Amino acid sequence: MTEHTVEVSQPLELPAVVRRRLTSAELAGLAGLGAIALLPIPFGSFGFFVGQFALIYAILGLSVVVVTGYAGLVSLMTYSFAGIGAMVTGVAMASWGWPFWLALPLAAAATIPVSIIVGVTAVRLKGLYLAIATLTFADALGETFFKYGKVTGGLSGWIVHRPSPFRSDASYYVLLLAVAMALVWMVTGLRSSRVGRAMLAVRTNEREAQALGINVYKTKLTAFLISGVLGGIGGAFLALLLTSVTRSAFQSPLVEATSILLVTVVVVGGIDRALGAFLGAVALVVQQQVFQGARFFFAYFGIYSALLLVLFLLYRPGGLMQVARLQWRLIRARPRVGIAAAAAIIGLNVGLAWLFVRLS
Amino acid sequence: MIAAHPVIQVTAFGLSSGATFGLLALGLVLIYRTTGAMNFSHWAIGLLAVIAYLYLANEGVPVVLAMLLALALSPIAGIAAYRLVFRKIPRANQVVTILITIGIAQVYASLAAMVLGFKQFTRLPPWLPQGKVSFAGTQLNTTDVVTIVLAVGIAAGFLAWFRFTRTGRALRAVAQNREAAMLAGIDDVRSSTIAWGIGSALAALALLLVLPHVAGKQGGLITTFDITPFGTLLIPAFGAALVGGLVNLPMALAGGFAFGLVRELLVLAPKPWSDLRTVAAALLILLLLVLRTERFFVTAQEREALEA
Repeated sequence: MTEHTVEVSQPLELPAVVRRRLTSAELAGLAGLGAIALLPIPFGSFGFFVGQFALIYAILGLSVVVVTGYAGLVSLMTYSFAGIGAMVTGVAMASWGWPFWLALPLAAAATIPVSIIVGVTAVRLKGLYLAIATLTFADALGETFFKYGKVTGGLSGWIVHRPSPFRSDASYYVLLLAVAMALVWMVTGLRSSRVGRAMLAVRTNEREAQALGINVYKTKLTAFLISGVLGGIGGAFLALLLTSVTRSAFQSPLVEATSILLVTVVVVGGIDRALGAFLGAVALVVQQQVFQGARFFFAYFGIYSALLLVLFLLYRPGGLMQVARLQWRLIRARPRVGIAAAAAIIGLNVGLAWLFVRLS
Repeated sequence: MIAAHPVIQVTAFGLSSGATFGLLALGLVLIYRTTGAMNFSHWAIGLLAVIAYLYLANEGVPVVLAMLLALALSPIAGIAAYRLVFRKIPRANQVVTILITIGIAQVYASLAAMVLGFKQFTRLPPWLPQGKVSFAGTQLNTTDVVTIVLAVGIAAGFLAWFRFTRTGRALRAVAQNREAAMLAGIDDVRSSTIAWGIGSALAALALLLVLPHVAGKQGGLITTFDITPFGTLLIPAFGAALVGGLVNLPMALAGGFAFGLVRELLVLAPKPWSDLRTVAAALLILLLLVLRTERFFVTAQEREALEA
C-alpha cells in the first residue's frame, strides 16, 4: 500500500491568526479579481446573465466552503437549502406581496429549522455516514417540502420580479457583485475568528479539538447553520435571477446533481478559502452557461467538471487558489517564465470562450 | 394489478426490488470493507454494463448472451477506477475519497448519457422470460420470481465464496487487519482489485435485472432519471448497507429485501400512510444512522482497519 501512495498534501494547516498588511501577492490577486468582475461588460446582456449566475453559485459555494472546507463535513444538500430560500422568497413575494428586502431575511431564516435537524444528526455521524445522511435529507425534502403546493406554488411555481433599482441586467449584476463580495469577506473573516478556528480544529482532529476545550457539537451545528443561511440567501437571489421558480429543480435527481456541482465548483476553486468559491464559480459556471448552447453540452460538461473534480482532489487539493499561489511563486522566482505561463493560460481560456460565444 | 391476493403480489414486487437493493448493497459493503472506500459511483458502474448490454443486443447478439457478456465486461469500470484513482488516495482521507467517488460517478454517468445520445428515454430489450406464474392462487410476474431466485442464488454463492475459498478468506483478512494480512503474504492491491471487480459485477447484475424489465411486457426503459437514480436506487441501497453497519454482508442483503418490502407493502396501507412510500427509505435510513448500526457489527480490530 505505502509504496503506491501519492502523498496528497492536505489543505489542513490552521490559518495564521495574526492580522497583517496586504502582501504584494494579495494585491495582485485583488487586481485580478477586479479584472474578472469587468469581464461581462463587452458581452452585453448575455455576459451579465452569465455573470449573475456565476455570482449566485459563488454565494452557494460559500455555503459549501463553511461546512465542508472549514468544518470538514461533507454536505450533499446545499442546493436543497437554496431551494428553501428560493421557494420562501417565491411565497413571500408572489403570494403575500412582500417586498424582496423583507423576503430575503425570511428566506435565510427558513433554512434554520432544517439546518438544526441536519446538524443534530451530523454531530453523531462521521465522514461518509454524513454524506449518506445529507443525500437522504435532500431526497426527503424533495418528497415532502418541495411537494407541498402552498410552499412551491404547485407545478407552475412562482413568478417573482426584481425590486425597482435592480431591474436591469447590469444593475442586478452590480448588486450581486456587492453581495457576493461582502459575503466572501465575511466568510474569510470567519476563518480566522474563534468559531472558524474551532471548525478547522474539528476538521483536523475531532478528539484533539475536544481536548482543547472546543465544543464539537456546537461547532458542527454552527457550521450547518451558517451553511444553511448562506444557501438560503443564495436561493433568494437565484429566484430573482430566474424570475420563475419551479419545484422540479429541487427534487431528486436534479437537486443532488446540482449540490454535487456546487461541491465541484468549490473544490476546483479551493475548498477551504472563501475566495475559492468565487474563483471556482467563475471558472466552471461561466463555462457551463457559455456551452449550454452546444449540442453535447451535458456529456461535455458532466465529464469535464467531474474530471476536474477528481484531478484537483488528486493533484491540487487546494484548488485554483493553490494553483494561483504556485504561479505567483513561479513569477517571483523566474519572472519571465512565470508571467509568460500565466499570460498563456489566461489568454488561451479567454480566447476559447470568446471563440465559442462567437460560434454559437 | 391488484388480484385476488394483493398481499402476495405486492410481496413479490417488494422482494424483487429488494433483491436489486440487496445486490447493490452487497457490492457497496464488499468494496467498503476491503478498501475503505464508500463507493458513490456504484450505480454508474452498473449503468455502464447496461449500456454495454444495450449495444450488444442492438448489434443482434441474443439477449441472454448479451447480458452475460455485459456482466463479464462490467468489472473493467470498477477496476479501472481503483487502479487509476483510488489506489493513489490515502485511506484515512475519507472526505477526499467520497468526493472522488462522486466525481467518478459523474464521469461514468455522463459517458452513459453520451452513448445514449441524450434521448428522453431509450428502450431496452428484456432478457428474462416474460409471462405469469401462478403461486398460491395468485398470478405473479415471471420476471419478479426469476429476479428473486437469481439474486438469492448469486448472493448465496458469493457469500459462500467469500467465506470458504482461499481468495475470499484473503479478502476477509484484509478487511479485518490490513497490516497483519500483508505480513502474512496477502497482496493488498490484488485483494482490492478483486473486491472492486466483484463489487462492480454485483452492481451490474442488479441494474441488468431491474432496468430492462421495469416496463413489463414492453421491456425496459432508461430515462434521463435512471442515469442519476439517487432516490430510486442509490438511497435504498445505502440504507440496505447500513442495516449491516456497512460491513456485514448477509445483513446487507437482508436489508435490501427489507427496504424493498417496506416500500411496496406501504401501497396497501390506508390513505395517509401510503403517502409515506416515497419517504419511507429516507426515514428508515435516518433511523439506522441514529441507531449507529455499525456498533453491532464492527469489531474493534476492524474499526481500526477501516479508519487507518
